[in-house]
Amino acid sequence: MTGTAGTVGETASVFLQSGSGQGATEGAPLADTVGRLLGFGSNMGPGETLIAAFIGAFFIGNLMLAMTGVAGPWAKRKITAAFTDRIAVNRVGPFGLLIIVADAVRLLSKELVVPDGVDRPAWDIAPILMAGSALLGFAVIPMGNGIQLADPETGLVYVFAVSSLASLGLVAAGYASNNKYSLLGGLRSIAQNIAYEIPLVITAASVVIFAGTLQLSGIVAAQTEPLVTILGVSIPAWYAFVNPFAFVLFMAANLAEVGRNPFDIPEAPTEIVAGYQTEYSSVYFVLMYLGEFLHIFLGGAIIATLFLGGPAGPVLPGIVWFIIKIWAVFLFTQWMRSAIPRVRIDQLIEIGWKGMLVLSFANLVLTAVIVGLIA
Amino acid sequence: MANPWIAVGALALVAVAIPIGMMAVSSLLRPTVREQGKSAAYESGEIPTGSTRIRFNIQYYMVALLFVVFDIETVLIFPWTVIYRDAVGSAGLATALGPMLVFIGVLVVGLAWAWRNGAVRWVRSPRAEQRRRERQQQ
Repeated sequence: MTGTAGTVGETASVFLQSGSGQGATEGAPLADTVGRLLGFGSNMGPGETLIAAFIGAFFIGNLMLAMTGVAGPWAKRKITAAFTDRIAVNRVGPFGLLIIVADAVRLLSKELVVPDGVDRPAWDIAPILMAGSALLGFAVIPMGNGIQLADPETGLVYVFAVSSLASLGLVAAGYASNNKYSLLGGLRSIAQNIAYEIPLVITAASVVIFAGTLQLSGIVAAQTEPLVTILGVSIPAWYAFVNPFAFVLFMAANLAEVGRNPFDIPEAPTEIVAGYQTEYSSVYFVLMYLGEFLHIFLGGAIIATLFLGGPAGPVLPGIVWFIIKIWAVFLFTQWMRSAIPRVRIDQLIEIGWKGMLVLSFANLVLTAVIVGLIA
Repeated sequence: MANPWIAVGALALVAVAIPIGMMAVSSLLRPTVREQGKSAAYESGEIPTGSTRIRFNIQYYMVALLFVVFDIETVLIFPWTVIYRDAVGSAGLATALGPMLVFIGVLVVGLAWAWRNGAVRWVRSPRAEQRRRERQQQ
């Protein structure tokens, strides 16, 4: 086992080097690269590691914040408008892009209305938990060009663990708000998250059967081998091509995890106002909203890493391909949001426990049998 | 290579510092105008009636218990998926796959039992059930 992990790790670094073409510093986790840039030498002490890690973490955090900044106030409006035959924001700046700045200032400078009877510490902590848990997940995602903050051996389990921390934030927000709609929204979101967490993780486990490692760089490296070559174009063995059934299952379960149609009953604006975020205003609302979009991007990043070859792609550098892939998943969620009706709560529970769970176990067993027969 | 969890810890601090920083900036910018009625809970413009802190029928209590069972199970499946390919090579298909099939089989039997008993159904409260019956009789 250790032998395999070693070779996979080496392949990973070789792949990242060849993919970026920027020399020997690529392939190492971001903290080490930053440390080398600061001139700390190859053997960093704890203090130096911490400084390098902070700079790397700050970079990753702001990269993802910039993405949600573009997605929330601008791209989401533009995409929804395109689906409903409208124009959307186009007055401020080119293509209305400066609306991002205007909206950020507008939302941050709004009055924070604290409703009567809120459960104060929980009500304040929930938005931090929502945004923070999503940011934490990006620590282990390989984004190409050596941009990967950390690469622990249990990366995949870590990602699922921290991303499900958001459920805690949801139920805290729903319960602490002292609003009936919020309570209903919080309860619904928990019902949904626990119903779809298991299919999500089990489907990811079927990918691990192919890759043989939980290290995300190893999973990316395992997808670089060519699957078939048609007319001189070699198609890489991305797990979306190797196991399309798992890919479809994972996309569906991911839609439920991030709470987008057809699984958007936690918010359901026509039924319960805005669900758990009804009573949030000003910066707290920004953080809840930010957390949601970060979770969509985190879901996209997990899908890209597990099924779409991570940052791999022709011509363009890895980070650009990574951003294209997570934006493609974002576009998909917005498409679903515009095109598909909402399911009822009882239907949601039945789809989750009677459909997705059974299918995901069937997928796991079938994958194990097929891999066992080939290997 | 340095310990990866140092970097993860650094990101954890950044992930908490960014929201708190935004809150701090906002608290410098925003006005606070106290007004009667503004802080009432929003219930679509109606005057709020009653408290939210009541006993509430959480209809998926059994589902939540099932979730705990299956969540622990996923933790037990992950190590198997990691070694599976090598185990097939070194110990053969039957030895690598058989025990896990039995394990998953037991859980599937458990799920089927829960399904038959109606645990994974959205349970209606007795009151809602009674109202439905009354509607049908009319």
